[in-house]
Amino acid sequence: MKTFVDNWGLFLLARELAEMAGGLRGLKLFMQHEQYKLAAAVRAALECGADCRRPPNEVIALLFDVARRKELLKEGCRVVNVPEPKKPPSRFAAEYFQMIDDIVLDKICEYVAKSPSDVISEEEASAYYQALMSAPFYVAFRRAIYSKLAKLYRYSTILDVGAGTQDPLDILSVCEMRGAKCELTALEVDRKFCTDLEKLASKHGFSVACGWEQLGRYDIAVVQNVLHWAADPLQVLTAARKHAQRMFLSQGVIEGASIAFVMTKILGAVRSLSWKEVEALAKQAGWRPVRRYAKYPDYLALFK
Amino acid sequence: MSLVARFKCPACSVEAPVALTSELLKQAAEKGAVRALARCPRGHAAVLTVDQYGNIRSALPVYEQAEPDCEITDKAPVSVRPRLAAILEKGAITDADALLLEKAKAAGWVICL
Repeated sequence: MKTFVDNWGLFLLARELAEMAGGLRGLKLFMQHEQYKLAAAVRAALECGADCRRPPNEVIALLFDVARRKELLKEGCRVVNVPEPKKPPSRFAAEYFQMIDDIVLDKICEYVAKSPSDVISEEEASAYYQALMSAPFYVAFRRAIYSKLAKLYRYSTILDVGAGTQDPLDILSVCEMRGAKCELTALEVDRKFCTDLEKLASKHGFSVACGWEQLGRYDIAVVQNVLHWAADPLQVLTAARKHAQRMFLSQGVIEGASIAFVMTKILGAVRSLSWKEVEALAKQAGWRPVRRYAKYPDYLALFK
Repeated sequence: MSLVARFKCPACSVEAPVALTSELLKQAAEKGAVRALARCPRGHAAVLTVDQYGNIRSALPVYEQAEPDCEITDKAPVSVRPRLAAILEKGAITDADALLLEKAKAAGWVICL
């Protein structure tokens, strides 16, 4: 009951999420596979010499933290036995789980001994990032929240903060599907992403800003999974406040986090936040909550 | 004289206008239907079938810039291989695909002659 109350907004997406996972049975199977992969990763890390009381680095520490929260890692470094699901995941989810294998499970012993940047090169991390962002399961999720929760098609001017390379295309797609004309500006402070964005912008009809100083005023700012990459998340939210009347904030948080959290850490995420920290940061930046759709595993809320 | 018709881009579903020239309409009237190449505002190419009345009967995607001289290396992760294989075989249909191919080349997942 508490989970329902905390995350009622996610139930508005039940149809989309179930479709992505292959129905309600698929959704259950998806969760079973997630648990199995997480337990397997923890067991592999321990077998490779990691101490669960003194993890060797931040990646392994996060892995153990996520597993403890899911009650898969117990006292005395004991890992709960999770049997491998008998059925494979749905077609959509198969790519996601294969990505977990490629990035996390297959290299777990290396992460015990080395930092992620010594295991995955910058170029590979960049390619993995593009593959992840444009993967059908993630595109479908973002489009669902933009359409069903944020209702971005209602706004004339939209600022996409920390846009990356795929997010602007998803926002425009939602506007188009609803027959709305949205004027979109994609903001990226990372020079490499900005160069990629500029290539897309003219073709897709949106503007690119490679810094906060180039921005005007917008009806709404979209901050979708940005804060864990940002050097200073408070600065991001404060700057967004200056440029937009409203903000739709979507952020994966540590409560209920899955092994995907470890995957983004490996690809360069700098921190993990709790939903209370995310909300506190937004309030500190001068935002007032209008509607909170979910607390975890994704914090989803509209601010004014 | 030309006629402006609209088609739905088969790659991105955007509605796009296309000018049907008098020459094309004349050919369609003679043959019953003709094929024409058009681009949506996002740059996706489509083959249109235009009937004798100037109606667009179908719009099919054109797979551009297939990369026959490229191959996927052993470094490429299993999860991305099916998408990379499809891009190399058919060309990048979306900009996200094109960007993935570019990044995959930089990462050494794909090499081209």
